[in-house]
Amino acid sequence: MRLLQANEVHDAIRTPTNFTRPDAPPTRFSVGDRVTVRNLNPTGHTRLPQYAKGRTGVISIHHGFFVFPDTMAHGEGDQPQHLYNVRFTVGELFGKHGGNPDDHVYIDMWESYLDEASS
Amino acid sequence: MEQITSSDGYTQPPPYAALRVKAIQSLLVDKGLVVEDALNEVVDLYENRIGPKDGAAVIARAWAEPEFRQQLLDDGTGTLAELGMTGFEGAHVVFVENTDTVHNVVVCTLCSCYPWAVLGLPPAWYKAPQYRSRAVMEPRDVLQEFGTFVPDDKEVRVWDSTAEIRYIVIPERPAGTEDLTVEQLAELVNRDSMIGTRLATPRQEAIA
Repeated sequence: MRLLQANEVHDAIRTPTNFTRPDAPPTRFSVGDRVTVRNLNPTGHTRLPQYAKGRTGVISIHHGFFVFPDTMAHGEGDQPQHLYNVRFTVGELFGKHGGNPDDHVYIDMWESYLDEASS
Repeated sequence: MEQITSSDGYTQPPPYAALRVKAIQSLLVDKGLVVEDALNEVVDLYENRIGPKDGAAVIARAWAEPEFRQQLLDDGTGTLAELGMTGFEGAHVVFVENTDTVHNVVVCTLCSCYPWAVLGLPPAWYKAPQYRSRAVMEPRDVLQEFGTFVPDDKEVRVWDSTAEIRYIVIPERPAGTEDLTVEQLAELVNRDSMIGTRLATPRQEAIA
């Protein structure tokens, strides 16, 4: 095993890991599409926050084709997917809300977390 | 380490967490898995060299140079890479901008993801369960507890960093700062204003 030496630390810290992958298939969603979050409850690692399950939002950003932590964490490979940012109203997520009805929470979500909204 | 001597003359042991870290560190070094100097270098980098001053310089430049601001908004990752501000916990960065109609704030509800490469280590409250759960549920109340009042006609946008994207807020430039240099402007960019829990420091409150 080669050990990281003190004079290599700075460059190591300043070298970014690229979490994107080439050869992306077509996206299932476009910016502006309404999507509903799947009620997924895997036993292992997931990046899907509990509070967003079953909620409906709008695709606000397409970030690119990213490795999937839910499989990476279990040694099942990077299995890349399209990564989106989805915009939800605070009211949709948490019910009655004292602030502005336009207050929003933006959450990054992999494509397999999402379905097209039914209405 | 600071020694705390109690009234009966005995010395209190260091806190549990500090002892545990020392034990893990000495085991890793003794077993030849980590070079001690390399470990000290990591600590020194994040304690003394990489920190909010880096982010503040970027934000101040964005205030002063509209083209640079646009470049940051269009391609945060690429712009930071050109400045050498990339790397661990900062491979993909998106800048979001506060305006007279929008206030942005960043959280990581799942853990404590934070743009280390630009802002250094996160503050302790950023990692606390209270901040992480309440920032999405009742962002206005949380902001108010930081002393940040967002008027009702302004939209609050909370960014939950669930993926490898790190979000950084470009706070609004304080009024009456037209004559300041980029270096002087950077003094107004406090750490929390880049997370979004506070506004940039008003000129009169900044150290002259």
